[in-house]
Amino acid sequence: MNNFLQKILELFTTQDYINSFLRGFLLTLEISFFAIIIGLVLGTIIALIQTAKPSPWLVIPKFICKVYVTIIRGTPMALQLFIMFFIIFSIRNFPELVTAFLAFGLNSAAYTSEIIRGGILSVDKGQTEAGLALGLRPFTIFRKIVAPQTIKNSLPSLSNEIITVIKETAIVSMIGMYDLNMAAKDIGSGQNMSSYIVPMVVAALFYLAVIYLISFAIRKLEKRLRKHD
Amino acid sequence: MIKTRNLKKSFDTVKVINNINFELKPGECVAVIGPSGSGKSTFLRLINRLETPTSGEVYYGSQLITDKNIRLIRRKIGMVFQHFNLINNLTVLENLTLAPTSLRLLSDKAAEEKAFSLLRRIGLYNKRDSYPSSLSGGQQQRVAIIRALMLDPEVLLFDEPTSALDPEMIGEVLDLIRDVLKDGMTAIIVTHEINFAKEVASRIVFIDNGRIVEEGTPNKFFTHPESPRVKDFLSKVL
Repeated sequence: MNNFLQKILELFTTQDYINSFLRGFLLTLEISFFAIIIGLVLGTIIALIQTAKPSPWLVIPKFICKVYVTIIRGTPMALQLFIMFFIIFSIRNFPELVTAFLAFGLNSAAYTSEIIRGGILSVDKGQTEAGLALGLRPFTIFRKIVAPQTIKNSLPSLSNEIITVIKETAIVSMIGMYDLNMAAKDIGSGQNMSSYIVPMVVAALFYLAVIYLISFAIRKLEKRLRKHD
Repeated sequence: MIKTRNLKKSFDTVKVINNINFELKPGECVAVIGPSGSGKSTFLRLINRLETPTSGEVYYGSQLITDKNIRLIRRKIGMVFQHFNLINNLTVLENLTLAPTSLRLLSDKAAEEKAFSLLRRIGLYNKRDSYPSSLSGGQQQRVAIIRALMLDPEVLLFDEPTSALDPEMIGEVLDLIRDVLKDGMTAIIVTHEINFAKEVASRIVFIDNGRIVEEGTPNKFFTHPESPRVKDFLSKVL
């Protein structure tokens, strides 16, 4: 027990260890942040294309979106990361951070698009018809009626997706990137089995703290948007 | 004012509206009645193009309604829905001011003033900042009716305005409709309230299987119906 406490103390007093943790934590945050942004933006675009009224212009984009979502959702994230890292962006000197957040962002976009598509489809048709009957422009109907209701409907699932992305970034350690997960392994290595325990628990607490904060913030936002229910 | 010519509408292979020729004159109030599933609501929705005709034409005045001009024409045609369709994420006041301000027909201030005076007329001024979900069905439908009035329409379309209401709320909504119509508002009202139709309409149109089976003044229609189909229907509902 004494030994265990000593390990904790050592972890928080050795500058090297602290630096490793912070470095790993920062990378995890960076990848997650950009991946979530890409996921939300691209996911929204895909959802809008998929739910748009059929027209000759949209036949091909709709088809591409469908194929994209099918492929991304039908293959493992780790494999997508490998393909991006070892094949598509294996160009020398291409920043690995960019490869990583693109891989996670492109993956998240597929899931996000399905969430938002569901959100759009769950807006009652009567809401749009009321706008049409008043002579409003389709864009006004979208902006004032459909979009706010879609956001409200999708928020719980979006929160879930954001959390998933943050946790899933831990697999970048598989391609040797130094994220929070890797930092824990690195700090614990070289001694014995028990030396892993403390850094890994600490890393877990870091993940937990970030995710707790995010779900708390989104829950608050949700509550505010639900005031009209 | 509104005219339909050889109007037809099919959903997939089901013919819902089968060749309707109809004319609405200014100042007229036409009540459309008929059994459920006869195409009454579809007929109404074809007029302001919430449904696109499979064939045939709808005219507003002398203007043929098309996908291109319908948006401007809809400003002149107010619509009241069976399920009210107030915008859930907007307050009562915002529901009323949304169209006139978005369409730049009124300033924010003027739209608000107009909304306030209409809200006072229906006794819901104190609900102006409430969301639709906190209103009763009758209150929601009354707000929906004055929302249609915000644009000073030339015609009002009522699509079974009391069918989704609890019985004790039907009266207040019918009272408001009666009040709106009494100044000679041109209107088409699809309804199951036979007695109300008899009272407010200047003409009754009976639709069955997507066709106009019979039409006439309420007096003639209810006392001397000609077609056996109408006689049968009236014997069941009156």
